[in-house]
Amino acid sequence: MGFSLTATQVIFFIASVIIASAVSGVFVAVINDVSSSLSDRGDRVQDQLDYEFTLINDPNNIPTSGNFYHFYLKNIGGKQLSTSNTTFTIFVDGEIVLTENFNFSDTSIKSEEVTIMYVLNTEISVGDHTLRVVGPQAIDDKFEFTI
Amino acid sequence: MGLSLSAAAAIIGVSILISIEIMVGTTIPTMTDTYESYDNMKDRSIDRFQTDINITTITAWANGTNYDLNFTVDNIGSVTLKSSYFNILVNGTSQNFEIEKAYLYPEKQVWFNVTNLPGGAGNHRVKAITGNGISDYETFTTI
Repeated sequence: MGFSLTATQVIFFIASVIIASAVSGVFVAVINDVSSSLSDRGDRVQDQLDYEFTLINDPNNIPTSGNFYHFYLKNIGGKQLSTSNTTFTIFVDGEIVLTENFNFSDTSIKSEEVTIMYVLNTEISVGDHTLRVVGPQAIDDKFEFTI
Repeated sequence: MGLSLSAAAAIIGVSILISIEIMVGTTIPTMTDTYESYDNMKDRSIDRFQTDINITTITAWANGTNYDLNFTVDNIGSVTLKSSYFNILVNGTSQNFEIEKAYLYPEKQVWFNVTNLPGGAGNHRVKAITGNGISDYETFTTI
């Protein structure tokens, strides 16, 4: 009788330790995941606050060379901006421009620097247009111009 | 029974402490960095509101078949501007330029020289853009 009471207590002790450990493990893992997501979200918010750019062209005089129109994109944010046709999406009058039809003269630009965005002239006809440039973290700029 | 309860409580208590450490260890740096980014963005916005320029006294003269251009930019805002961060567009095309001074202080002016510009007589347009994107246009005529 005495032995079985001790055995029962030992079993209860081990069971309670196992359950507490399992609960603790799950709890710590969940908190770790939440913290990691919160940190990632914070990084994205920081990027949204740091990235800023503008098109500085003269809307009445869009320069060309070969088959491309030149648009000057200036980094007016606080962070180096990666400029490529994969990090940027552009729309002419609401129509998306295929990635193979535009590109940049630089792969990245520091704050207050300018890069040239080349857009294939078949994408833009003669007349008034609106160009919308969407960069990292969906930061965008709209530019109205005339060809 | 009492020992089992104490052991379980101790384990859960330690896990809570570890969780608090994880939360605080990641949340505080994230909040600090986000606040710093927000502060920088606020400063940039305020600088932009307080930046203004005006193009004055444009002179253009023939240089062979091309022409040279000299114009003055007045800082009519209250922010000091770095001249090398300016961009100059003449008839829409970005041009290299020479500048008088490295910094353009408020209420001061600086001249820009652009040489060997293509194009003959007629009306032309110059656009000056500051480092933070504020700009001014002016039209001039070459004979």
